[in-house]
Amino acid sequence: MTEQTELKEATDTKIVKMIVFAIGVQEYCIPILSVREIRGFEKTTTLPFAPPYVCGAINLRGIILTVVDLAVYLNVPPQTDNPRRVVVIVESKNGVVCGLLVDRVIDMADINLNDVQAVSEDGSCLGGLVLVDNRMIGLLRLETVVGQLVTDTISE
Amino acid sequence: MSSDMDDILQIFFQECDEQLQELERGLSALSDGESEHETVNAVFRAVHSIKGGAASFGLDNLVRFAHVFENSLDGLRSGRFAPTHDVVKVFLKAMDVLSDLVNEARGGATVDSARVAESHAELADISGTGGNQNASQAATTEDVIPADFSPVPMDFEPVPTDFEPVPFDFDFGEEEATPAAASLLVTFRPHDALYERGDDARNILIGLTDLARECDGEIQTTCDRSALPPLTDLLPDKSYLSWQVVLPPAVSEDSANAVFDWVSEDCDFSIVREGAEAAAPQEPPAEQPEPAEVVAVMPPVEDHEAPPPAPAPSVAHPIQILSPLPAPATPDAHPGPSPAGSAASSTANGAAQTAARKPEQASIRVDLHRIDDLMDLVGELVIAQAAIESLSRRTDAAGQHELVQSISSMQSLTRDIQDAVMAVRAQPVRAVFQRMQRVVREASSMTHKDIVLTLEGEDTEVDRTLVEKLTDPLTHMLRNAVDHGIESPEARIAAGKPAEGHIVLSAEHRSGRILITIKDDGAGINRQRVFETAVKRGVIPADAVLSDEEINNLIFMPGFSTAAQVSNLSGRGVGMDVVKQAIQSLGGRISISSVPGKGTTFGFSLPLTLAILDGMLISASGSTMVIPISSVIETMIVNQSDVYALPDGSNVISIRGDCMPLIPLATVLKLSNSSTPDSLDASVILVVENESGARAALIVDEIRDQTQVVIKSIESNYRQIFGVSAATILGDGSVSLILDVSALVASAIGHIDIKPSNIRAELAA
Repeated sequence: MTEQTELKEATDTKIVKMIVFAIGVQEYCIPILSVREIRGFEKTTTLPFAPPYVCGAINLRGIILTVVDLAVYLNVPPQTDNPRRVVVIVESKNGVVCGLLVDRVIDMADINLNDVQAVSEDGSCLGGLVLVDNRMIGLLRLETVVGQLVTDTISE
Repeated sequence: MSSDMDDILQIFFQECDEQLQELERGLSALSDGESEHETVNAVFRAVHSIKGGAASFGLDNLVRFAHVFENSLDGLRSGRFAPTHDVVKVFLKAMDVLSDLVNEARGGATVDSARVAESHAELADISGTGGNQNASQAATTEDVIPADFSPVPMDFEPVPTDFEPVPFDFDFGEEEATPAAASLLVTFRPHDALYERGDDARNILIGLTDLARECDGEIQTTCDRSALPPLTDLLPDKSYLSWQVVLPPAVSEDSANAVFDWVSEDCDFSIVREGAEAAAPQEPPAEQPEPAEVVAVMPPVEDHEAPPPAPAPSVAHPIQILSPLPAPATPDAHPGPSPAGSAASSTANGAAQTAARKPEQASIRVDLHRIDDLMDLVGELVIAQAAIESLSRRTDAAGQHELVQSISSMQSLTRDIQDAVMAVRAQPVRAVFQRMQRVVREASSMTHKDIVLTLEGEDTEVDRTLVEKLTDPLTHMLRNAVDHGIESPEARIAAGKPAEGHIVLSAEHRSGRILITIKDDGAGINRQRVFETAVKRGVIPADAVLSDEEINNLIFMPGFSTAAQVSNLSGRGVGMDVVKQAIQSLGGRISISSVPGKGTTFGFSLPLTLAILDGMLISASGSTMVIPISSVIETMIVNQSDVYALPDGSNVISIRGDCMPLIPLATVLKLSNSSTPDSLDASVILVVENESGARAALIVDEIRDQTQVVIKSIESNYRQIFGVSAATILGDGSVSLILDVSALVASAIGHIDIKPSNIRAELAA
């Protein structure tokens, strides 16, 4: 399940269940249906020519996938010694599986997509902001992150 | 059409493929001069089976052609003519048409009807000239029978709902008391052999029913059960019943005869046209129990040695069929006004079938003993696992020792299981190789050359995926061999060679790889011309000095072709580079050797499987990586005096006089930021080689181990990485990268190995 389809469905249902996690002090959320599992952060295998936000590759029961350090991706100082860091394994709408390294998972929230306020232009990784209990939560566009991961040009 | 029907159709097509292979094998044996009776029979059987199967599915085109083919082969079988070269050629051509027709029926491209007609005529010709007594008669039968041949479209619905409203009637006396005037009386009595062959009286009845329906008539069927013994004596596999069928007057005797085409040897039958009053069919003795009652009598006989409750086929099937089918739902069952009409409707039905067909399901046939082997191994694995479990509970030192031992035995077991699974996936290359016969045949007839392709080692087994992916490269290579390799017959005779060209396609296992060679006895590679063309096309500078091998390798450059003119077959300059890519993507290498005037040999060396790789575990800058063993030539420790630093900061090493670039792996892969350390003394290097034989030395931190690794794609969830071909999972569960040696070497030495040649040229100047 993806933002796009979620947003489309939103015209009918309005409410989408999202998983909320923190990166630095900011909170972000992604649709819970795109999450496959959450696991502890373990040692990754460094990949050559990888962009700085790619931590490396891990083995998820025989599937090899890469872990994206969202802190680096979102230009937030990474908390390397934070024991609560976890990897959220997500699957994009075209079947690409990857891990998102987040500082901590907070909770789940029902987010009414009508309340989302756009903050940046299209194509950005942030789909908008939403206020839940006076907390500002950013909607992370999964497709943008994954798309970048798969198609970024290789710098030799 | 029901999915059951689809499934059966699938099986039929699979069988067709097998029969066609059998046919190909038999015909090539015949063309090699073998005229064993058994070979001819095998060929005949193959065509016959295809025809039989096709008829059941109403695949008219196929049936008609197969029938003619079969007739001609029958001439061969009965010794009316000998399998001369020309005859076998016609048969081979007919086989190609037949396989195309099978393909067409499967939903493939439509076959050019002119080709079918041509082959048809040739076949008729053969049997015509062969049967020297009545050639014309043979020709006419050829024409008549296929037209009359009425396929029996059958519905394989498990529950014959079509037959539900059958008003079947065992009231014999009245029915045949009123047969129409001049109606056709068919009596037949199947022998036991008919059922043994898997045929059924039901098929004949259906055939007759169809005939009647084509004439808008109905049939009247009478079952004669006079020979039926009491149930206690009934043998389930004996044939006891006979039938009398009264067909409407419009049905011709010939067409009724055609129904018995396949069973004429296995049943007594008579077809008589008669007036109503003449010889009213004899009434069956009324005291005989009718089949329905037979079942009813069952309980009383229970305490006897009970005969199998399942009635003999001769009893079971008539119940379903004993009357004209009252307009069932299937479209082809509507009474057609003429045979042509019914043929058309059943073709339309066939087309609908193929259109609705699901994409072909990949399946392989595996020898049972291989599965059994696997099963045994899995059994052992279970035992070994139990042993380890119990040992792990023991805490004493001896237990510890035993545990280590049993783990190591488990290791060898795992290896065995892996081998067994690979054996299950292994397929002989025959399927691909035999397809090549046709490629060569067509290519040589297009180029007007006489070429014989000899296959060797068709039984060599390789992984199934490899078998499939070999078809295209081999087709390219063989077309090239025919078009460029073999000279024209005139040129061959002028060169003192037989006019007939020879190509040998062989496969063999060699040290864990499969080696496929394509060897022709043509003119060999004209290196002078290749060199000139390469210069003309700007691939190499005009003053380059290349070794013979380097010139040979030029033909793999994209866009390279020396053909003076573009032909249908080749000369467009696409092909060889595609071949090379295809082979390389399979992890293979290509080698060429060519002797002018004697011929050219291409060799493909391929790994046996694409799933598992023998690798060397190395580490560089803290990462463990895998290098395919197949590309590692040697490993050694650098002696600083052999290293020569180049102005641009890179290094060259001389190993026993051969200079090759040194590649600091960690730096090239950007894993470490530090440039090459000042002293390379005592670094570990791996000498690696890419497909074209170019070598380079990789500097690594450490060589860890040699192991088998399972290849996992990294691109499915990420992107392509330079220098990395795939990934694998190591014993500790961590991910490790498999290096793409050819890319690393290529980046180190430039695109093609011409740099040193340039220098050689400069020095020579």
